[in-house]
Amino acid sequence: MQRILDPAQIEAFSQRDIQRLRLPERARVFSTRAARLRQQSESGAIGHAIGDYLRLMAHLADAQQIAVTNIEPALPDIEQLTHARTFHMPPVGVTSWRREEHWLRSLDLICESLAALPDVPEQARAVCDQLRDLESQQLEALADDLLAAQTSAVDAASAPFIMAALQVYWVALASRMNSDAIHELDVPGVCPTCGTLPVASVVRSDSRSQGLRYLHCALCATEWHMVRVKCSHCQTTQGISYQSIENGPRAIRAECCDTCHTYRKILYQEEDSAVEPIADDLASLALDLLLSDAGYHRARVNPLLWHPS
Amino acid sequence: MSDMTRRQFLAITGGGLAGSSLALLGFSPGVALAEVRQFKLARATETRNTCPYCSVACGVLMYSLGDKAKNATPSIFHIEGDPDHPVNRGTLCPKGAGLIDFIHSPSRLKYPEYRAPGSDRWQRVSWDEAMERIARLMKQDRDANFIAKNAEGQTVNRWLTTGMLAASASSNEAGYITHKVVRSLGILAFDNQARV
Repeated sequence: MQRILDPAQIEAFSQRDIQRLRLPERARVFSTRAARLRQQSESGAIGHAIGDYLRLMAHLADAQQIAVTNIEPALPDIEQLTHARTFHMPPVGVTSWRREEHWLRSLDLICESLAALPDVPEQARAVCDQLRDLESQQLEALADDLLAAQTSAVDAASAPFIMAALQVYWVALASRMNSDAIHELDVPGVCPTCGTLPVASVVRSDSRSQGLRYLHCALCATEWHMVRVKCSHCQTTQGISYQSIENGPRAIRAECCDTCHTYRKILYQEEDSAVEPIADDLASLALDLLLSDAGYHRARVNPLLWHPS
Repeated sequence: MSDMTRRQFLAITGGGLAGSSLALLGFSPGVALAEVRQFKLARATETRNTCPYCSVACGVLMYSLGDKAKNATPSIFHIEGDPDHPVNRGTLCPKGAGLIDFIHSPSRLKYPEYRAPGSDRWQRVSWDEAMERIARLMKQDRDANFIAKNAEGQTVNRWLTTGMLAASASSNEAGYITHKVVRSLGILAFDNQARV
C-alpha cells in the first residue's frame, strides 16, 4: 500500500540525522576564543595588523571565562517554554526575556580585570573605569540599545565590554538549556535560543557534523544548522560566491550574496581545526575592508568591534 | 528579536574604522589599512548538483575557482558529497568520489560523435546532424516495427525494437518529460541511469 507523506513528514525524516543545534559548553567557550584571538594576533597570522586589539580582546575573553563560571542564572520555566514554542519565539529572546542583574556583576568583573592589566591603553582603561561608575539603570539602557541592534545609539568604545558581559549571561543560559526546549523559528536567520543575528558560519568537521554548516550566535554562542550554499541573510541560493584573501588563510572565507549584496564570513574547520567564529571574524578585518571596496555589506557587526553608522 | 533596519547593513571602510571600538580604545587601524592594499580578493563558488552515474542520484557539491562575472572559464577543483542531501548525507561511492577526474578527463565526451558502420574512428558531427539522424532512424524503425494490435486484436500501440537510456541526474520534472516523450512513441524499454 502506498502512503503519501505530507511535506512536514518528509521534512521530519530528512532532518532526522542532522544535528540541529550545538549548544555552547560554558567550560570552554571563552577560553577557546581567547586562545584563538592570541593565535591570530601572532606574526604571520591574519590578524597581526590589529594584534594589539586582538590581545586586549583575548584578555576580555579570559575575564568572560572566569565570569561565566561564577553565575548561575534562572532558566525559563515550563510555562515560558510553552509560550515561546506556541508563538515560535526564542525561549530566552533578547527583547522578551527579563535578564537578571547577574550580567552587571560580570561587567564589573570584566572591567576590573582589564583595567588592572599593565599594558592596556589609557583610553581603554578610562572606558572601563567609566562603565564601573555608571548606575545600573544607565547600563541597562545601554544594553537594551546593543541587544536591539540599534547601532545608531551605540557608543563604540563601551559596546564591546557591555556586549561581553551580556554574552557571559546568555552563554550561561544557553549552555544550561535542553536542546529539546529550543524550537525552530519561522525565520531561519536568527538564533533559535535568543533571537540574535549570527556573527558567522562554521562548516564543522567532527564526525557527527562533518561538512555541515552552522550559524554561530553573536550573543549566546548557540550554533544552528543551515544548508550550505545559501545566503544566511536573504535565504536565496542563487548567486552565492565565496571570497577570500588571495593566498590568505583557506579556512576563512566570506559567503557573499549577489542578490542582497550582503556577506557573512564562513569558516572551514576542515582547513583549520582551531577556527572560532567571533575571534576569526574579528581577526580577518582585512577581508571586511576588501569586501566593502567590492560593494558588499556586512550582515551584522562583530560583538567585539563596533562602528559608527 | 533584532530590530532589522538599514543601519545594520554595515560597510566596513577605512574611514569607518577611525570611529570604531578599535580606534576609540586606543589602537591604530593604520597598519591594517596599509596592509590591505597589498591584498586581493579571490572568488570561488560551491555548486550543488547530482551525481550522473546511477539512479540513487546522490547530491554533490562542486567547488570551482574563477570569476563568473568576468567570463573566465570556471575551473572545478574539488567535488564532494553534499552533507545536506537527504539521500547520501555527504557520502559518495568510489565512482562518485572520482567525479573530478571524469570532468577533467581528456576522453570526456563533449559533443556528438558518430562512428559509421565498419569504420574504426569517431567523427564529430553537429547537434543538428545528430538530431536529424536520430529522428530519421527512429522514424524508420518505428514505421517498420510498431505494433498497433496484438494477436488477440487488442490495441497495444507498442514499439519494442528501440529503447532509450536517459540521464540519472534528472529532476522529477525532467523525468516526467522524458516519460511523456518516450511513452507517447510507444517505447517500453527505457531507464534513467547511466551505470551500465
